[in-house]
Amino acid sequence: MRNNDTTRRDFQRASGGALGAAWLGIQWSDLAAAAEHAHEAAAGTIDHQFKVLTPAQARDVAAIAAQIVPSGDTPGAREAGVVYFIDHVSAGIYARNAPEFLAGLTAFQQEFAKSHPGSDQFADLDAAAQLAYLKSVEKTPFFGGMRFLTVAGLLALPSYGGNENKLGWKMVGFVDRHVWSPPFGYYDQDYPGFEPYPKAARS
Amino acid sequence: MSARKFGPKETVDFVVVGSGAAGGVVARELSQAGFEVLVLEQGPRYTAADFKHDELDYWFNSALTNNPQANPQTFRKTASEKAEQVTAVPALIYARMVGGSSNHFTGNYWRLHEVDFKERSLLGPIEGTSFADWPIDYAELEPYYTKVDWEVGVSGLAGASPFDPPRSKPYPMPPLPVKSSGVLLERGARKLGLHPFPAPMAIASEPYRDRPACAHCGFCIGFGCEMRAKSSPLYTMIPEAEATGRCEVRSESYVSRIEVDERDRVTGVAYFDKDKREHFQKARAVVVSANGAETARLLLMSANGRHPDGLANSSGLVGRNLMFNTYAQVNAIFEHELNEYKSVQVTRIVHDFYQSDPKRGFYGGGGFDGRIGPNPIGWAMFEPPPDRAWGAEFKSLIEKMPRAMISATHGTSLPLESNRVDLDPELKDAWGLPAMRVTYRDHPDDLANARFLQDRATEVLQAAGAQEVWKDPVEESTIGVHLLGTCRMGDDPKSSVVDRYHRTHDIRNLFVCDGSSLVTSGRGQPTMTIQALAFRAGDHIARFAKRGEI
Repeated sequence: MRNNDTTRRDFQRASGGALGAAWLGIQWSDLAAAAEHAHEAAAGTIDHQFKVLTPAQARDVAAIAAQIVPSGDTPGAREAGVVYFIDHVSAGIYARNAPEFLAGLTAFQQEFAKSHPGSDQFADLDAAAQLAYLKSVEKTPFFGGMRFLTVAGLLALPSYGGNENKLGWKMVGFVDRHVWSPPFGYYDQDYPGFEPYPKAARS
Repeated sequence: MSARKFGPKETVDFVVVGSGAAGGVVARELSQAGFEVLVLEQGPRYTAADFKHDELDYWFNSALTNNPQANPQTFRKTASEKAEQVTAVPALIYARMVGGSSNHFTGNYWRLHEVDFKERSLLGPIEGTSFADWPIDYAELEPYYTKVDWEVGVSGLAGASPFDPPRSKPYPMPPLPVKSSGVLLERGARKLGLHPFPAPMAIASEPYRDRPACAHCGFCIGFGCEMRAKSSPLYTMIPEAEATGRCEVRSESYVSRIEVDERDRVTGVAYFDKDKREHFQKARAVVVSANGAETARLLLMSANGRHPDGLANSSGLVGRNLMFNTYAQVNAIFEHELNEYKSVQVTRIVHDFYQSDPKRGFYGGGGFDGRIGPNPIGWAMFEPPPDRAWGAEFKSLIEKMPRAMISATHGTSLPLESNRVDLDPELKDAWGLPAMRVTYRDHPDDLANARFLQDRATEVLQAAGAQEVWKDPVEESTIGVHLLGTCRMGDDPKSSVVDRYHRTHDIRNLFVCDGSSLVTSGRGQPTMTIQALAFRAGDHIARFAKRGEI
């Protein structure tokens, strides 16, 4: 595998390293500069106005994200506002790379239109048909990018515009705090203490 | 005493290039010994208050690490290929800041074993490799390992591992509290007759000197420590060096060249300040501790008419014998919650397979631990198997994250001259300097060993009662974070770059000390050994300087 197509093993191997954002084929080097937006979101006022995506684009992006992490008995990408994360990071901090992402989205929509002459857009399909179509494109870089954006929009700090009401963190049982104390989980609560090995084992 | 500020025309006793695990220690030792020391660090200086719980920025945006745009690299597996620029993730990753990668590391701090220093003699040669004994043995390094335990601050339980080498002193702090991943690793390993033990970690388990204990926030691997509990040079060696009044740490100072005169003596270094203005700093001697990647690159970039292949490179080995340590991983889900997003990464380790065993059919050894790795984004992005990477199955899997852990293996990498860092012939960095070119392909024994360790870790997680266990594929490495071997230590100037005291064979007042000095890779987790070498180097360099032998 090449570094431009990094595996999850590489990710772990790079313990402590950062992974550039080319999951999307785009760069994110200004992502951290969303300070202004961070303040806004920290105040609990995630902006539901789209800045970059057209209504039709937003519908498809939201529909794809909702297939990657579906709703159901519990909230999914849709309720966590992943589409706003994707729109907002495209608007400010990765505006210079937004054209590349939007080109991928346009290509997705055009391919869809070719293969579905009767449908207006992907988001209009029923859930089963959406799923089937995405299966057919799941190896494309655009879908890989959408998967990353969906996971990030679900689980990154809410200050980036997604993870609304911390729904993503609730889904994965994660709590962002600065201080914890033991026991941390079920298995360490009754740990009796480390039992030394008999000298005989020390060979 | 407050930190020294050197004027632009002053000649310092030592310039130390790099402020990380090795540079921080060397700067402290030399300044405490009475010398004037200027540390030049390419990255910025952060304080604990600057560090954030921002996984997206730190893990996916290179916020703390070398950045593929400003610090580009090219990569290839063999010299017959054209190296391609890597745009997503650098091939060689390091934290670019005061304190270096010790800010964002995991903090595993066990010592090499006696066997690591003399394996070539014990096992014989391995064809096609540069497998060699070290010029020093464990006993020589032991006092300096103890110095790391106490001066840097390591938590652990002496005597807990039946495999540990002898030590002259216990750890200064008890082990960190065990996590559920540690309990489960220990449970499974003991069932199989193995000997798991509490992980020694460079993280304060109780208040130590002027630093607070770990608050178990969980933002550890890949993050700077907001508590100052992680024993990074940023919080330990650097302030102690500055407190001598003889040391200045100049951040955002990127060294581009080491200059030598016609008598082959280093006269100083050229560097760029944060505004990319070039300066020259005069020095009586230079110690390069810029990490196993940047150290080699700097020596190569410093080539001149008398040293056309780079400084200190008469052996031709500068940049060669690059070693990563292999990594493999097993994932598991258990019945109850572990909540591995809390606290430090590792609390238990297994070293029963540390020694190489000819019966296995390959060279190599190592260990494995219990942990989770970065999360939640990292776990959700990379841990689900391909058939559960999105959709309802994906959601149901990531909902199990509180019940998940991994076991990570750490193993040997053989030294190969073909694995190397050199200068890309075309690509330049943001300062106009030649980009780093990386050539790396694991030796087949390294991959066989990684798979062997992964299988043993799998058995342990199964014995611990995991409901689901799955292995990540073991593939050839394209990324390294342990940057080792590129200026190896040795007695023979033909087969090594530095001598046993870290003085370059070629240039009397030029020293190199960091991961590049390692002769063999050990079994992973090299920073403890890098710092022990740095304490020893600082000790000897100070003695040489006092005797006028530099």
